[in-house]
Amino acid sequence: MPNNIQVNELSKKFKDITAVDKVSFEVDQSEIFGFLGPNGAGKTTTISMLCTLLKPSAGTALVGGYDIISDPGNVRREIGVVFQDTTLDERLTARENLTFHGELYGMPRAEIGKRADALLDRVGLTARAGDPVAVFSGGMRRRLELARGLMHKPAVLFLDEPTIGLDPQSRRNLWDYARSLRDSEGVTIFLSTHYMDEAEACDRIAVIDYGEIIALDTPDAHKSALGGDVVSVTGPDLEVLSSEIAQTFDIEPRIENEKVEFNIQQGATFIPTLLDKLEQPVDSVSLRHPTLDDVFVSLTGHQIRDGDISTTEKMRNVQRTGFGRRH
Amino acid sequence: MDLPSPEQNVRRSNKRIAGTHFLNVVRVVWLREILIYFRDRPRVISAFMMPIVMLVLFGEGLGGIIDLPGISYRQFIFPGMVAMIVLMNSIFAGVTIVTDRQFGFLREMLVAPVSRTAIAVAKIFGGATIALINGMVLFAFAPLMGIDISFLIVVKLMGLILLVGFMLTGIGVSIGSRLRTPESFQMLSQAIIFPAMFLSGVFFPVNNTAKWLDFFVQFNPITYAVAPIREIGLANELEKVSPEVAASLINVQAFGHTFTILEELGIVVAFSILMLWFAVRGVRNAS
Repeated sequence: MPNNIQVNELSKKFKDITAVDKVSFEVDQSEIFGFLGPNGAGKTTTISMLCTLLKPSAGTALVGGYDIISDPGNVRREIGVVFQDTTLDERLTARENLTFHGELYGMPRAEIGKRADALLDRVGLTARAGDPVAVFSGGMRRRLELARGLMHKPAVLFLDEPTIGLDPQSRRNLWDYARSLRDSEGVTIFLSTHYMDEAEACDRIAVIDYGEIIALDTPDAHKSALGGDVVSVTGPDLEVLSSEIAQTFDIEPRIENEKVEFNIQQGATFIPTLLDKLEQPVDSVSLRHPTLDDVFVSLTGHQIRDGDISTTEKMRNVQRTGFGRRH
Repeated sequence: MDLPSPEQNVRRSNKRIAGTHFLNVVRVVWLREILIYFRDRPRVISAFMMPIVMLVLFGEGLGGIIDLPGISYRQFIFPGMVAMIVLMNSIFAGVTIVTDRQFGFLREMLVAPVSRTAIAVAKIFGGATIALINGMVLFAFAPLMGIDISFLIVVKLMGLILLVGFMLTGIGVSIGSRLRTPESFQMLSQAIIFPAMFLSGVFFPVNNTAKWLDFFVQFNPITYAVAPIREIGLANELEKVSPEVAASLINVQAFGHTFTILEELGIVVAFSILMLWFAVRGVRNAS
């Protein structure tokens, strides 16, 4: 299996700050692998090392079967990258950005034109192919960059925060396209994000915080590790209700916010049984699936946050409970 | 008979592919430099205005003040102005690597499977080409300055300007690849261009300067680039005066030695290679 990523104790130190700390993981071929973490967690630094633009302080990695330290040339041939910040030439047209890329990767001339047209069509920029990128909106630039990253048919595609600045429709399109690349062409996709709903769509997610991977699993497994769905029941007498549930089903409910709550696997199929067997009157039952937010909070003890944040700020955010997330 | 093993064949053809890829990268990166130059209208317009301004200022303004043996000061300074245009355009061309870094495009090139040397060579050739275009636009005014030119002079001068442009853009790219903002590049390149220009014989014959200035003139590699441009540009005019007078106007005497044009070109080539080396190192560490 040559088209995957194997990372072995990869570290990066900038003076006295350890941005990435002994990170190890593997990405299978045709997998969409997500790196979930707040800004400043070390996502971009890891991607930069895997893309051969940054030398690791320790450890190494194989990308597409080649060593990022001893064989960067072959790694570069195998990968396509969409960086977090735009790397287009604004003075060139959309099509010129693609053909320049094709030439850099040594593609045959005839193929460059065809591939550029096909990709421009795929990202909906055919009508704007001849316009300089300077007049493009943020979303259009993002789409063009994705097309460019795919010009040379990379085996591994790196997407660093790919949907920042994209409208909901473009985001859906990007995801549909990512899945079709995985399914039809077997492309391995490595993406970083701090959006929970985006991480949800990955095959597997590594949760990264302060430069370390603290959990790595499928989104569902991450969530079931929390103990399943959250069921909340209300009734006239919460104490009695709680003890009856505890006795009948051998679980430990808790009373929170004037509700009896408990975690249980397959909550939806459990509710009919619950109502059937309970003798106490019940006013309402509600079911909530755990979100990756719950996962992130339970793993790190703080919520995911936006913006580059200093260490003192980080400390403050750990203590702050109402720190909202942004979508 | 020894036939190369299939493996050797593969290796050889890979090497050939790598070689053509190198040249192809140089071509396409060079092409982009030229393209974005011509799309930057203010840059093109100012580059074409500059020679005209200088012709009026120096040619007409200073022309009558300074007396030289054999030829007029106007004739003398004209190739110097060509050298000055080449100098400014070449060194300033190094700014594209700063802006490429600032707008992220440098990363697009560095993450591609391309040789860093190819990127540096292409950038340097791009600057040299732009300098050539601007230098020749100015040189087209030679007959107006009363300078007798020929087709051969134009061809020789084009080759020479390309070489000198290579050396000077090498300086620009070496600096540019190590700086982060166009503003700092602007400041630093001005700080280099102006003294280098005054201490290179652009405005006066280098052998007439004060002794302490001589020291800087002799160690200034640009001195050895300006002299051949003047010698070739004024070739027909210098034939009309005595060899002694011609020598006093164009020769560089340094370290107790009078340099021939071939020696001067040798210095330019050597310095070009050194600058290329610095530029390649700069690009390699630029990510």
